[in-house]
Amino acid sequence: MKQMVKVGLILALLASVAATTLAVVNAVTAPKIALYEAQVVAEALKTVAGPYQIGESLEISDSTVSTLYSLLDEGQKSVGYIVQLTGVGYGGEMMMMVSYLNNGEVIDARLLANSETPGLGKKAEIPSYMEKFIGTGGTNSVPQSKGELSKEEADAVSGSSVTFAGVAKTVAYGSNLVKSLGGK
Amino acid sequence: MAQSKKEILTKGFFKENPVFIIMLGLCPALGVSTQVINGLGMGVGVIFVLVFSNIFISLLKNIIPPSVRIPAYIVIIAAFVTIVEMVMHAYAPAIYQALGIYLPLIVVNCIILGRAEAFANRNSVFDSFLDGIGMGVGFTLALTMIALIREVFGAGTITLISIGNFSGVIKIPLLYKYPVRIMTLAAGALLLMGYLKAFFGYLEKRKGVN
Repeated sequence: MKQMVKVGLILALLASVAATTLAVVNAVTAPKIALYEAQVVAEALKTVAGPYQIGESLEISDSTVSTLYSLLDEGQKSVGYIVQLTGVGYGGEMMMMVSYLNNGEVIDARLLANSETPGLGKKAEIPSYMEKFIGTGGTNSVPQSKGELSKEEADAVSGSSVTFAGVAKTVAYGSNLVKSLGGK
Repeated sequence: MAQSKKEILTKGFFKENPVFIIMLGLCPALGVSTQVINGLGMGVGVIFVLVFSNIFISLLKNIIPPSVRIPAYIVIIAAFVTIVEMVMHAYAPAIYQALGIYLPLIVVNCIILGRAEAFANRNSVFDSFLDGIGMGVGFTLALTMIALIREVFGAGTITLISIGNFSGVIKIPLLYKYPVRIMTLAAGALLLMGYLKAFFGYLEKRKGVN
């Protein structure tokens, strides 16, 4: 019994020292990481906005959608939205930034923070990967399976079907949300 | 027979190279070796974790009860991996993003736990430090070599760190236009690993004959 308590105390002490050290490192790195993440989001917003201006933002408490940004034309008229989405891929959560016209049509999209497999699912970070979704979501539905893609596009997602399905499902979710807003 | 300090330091480079000879840590080695910069980044992370986990496990070898040594090693290794993860995320975000899931998986990298169990828990702190450096450098050399061959043939590029006007990407004229795509895929990684293992086995055998 005494031996068991001693072993438990040694393990607890070890874990406490490790936790304290990590807390110190976190205190030093967290502000730098937050700044970097904010820069990534700002750059993605600017990219997916295309020729439009970014208007007001609206925080949403939804497991898939976190923020909505209105998109405005030159006359300050609402033309659509940029939606910050969280999908699920092979490696867990994937953060995405997708811009839509008011009819749900995808203007542009970017995959941001993710834990997809390097060389496979990570290919979704390349801007050209998202081209297959541009123009869909309005009259044309968002492709949900490889069968709905051209041969070249299907080859590009080969080996990363789970990532593709996660991205497609998330893009479609955002499109339906924007449609339901009806340009309000 | 006790090993000399020089032998402890250098055995990981070739004679007991963790990837080509001992065949440890193959999963991350093949997973991240699509670009040279990923190999170097992963290598630096593994050197840091290996050196510090070896030092601390050697320091604590008489305090940690043998019955719970593996959980204790995992706590120490996981702490150093998390430090590497946080520091890379803050100061080298591009490499952090590229390494993805393989970075936290260093915790279960067989090389780290293997050296803790086979070397650090029965040798002095300084010897464990040298072993960590040697094995870490050996792992980095192996990873960089695999990544260099895969990237040159598979993409026709060599990706390094961008500095000033240098974008960090060197394009190989003919291969950039006509790359051997299979080299960037998992199948290409396994094929290459097989050839390299055969090559190092041949060198080892020839050395033994001589």
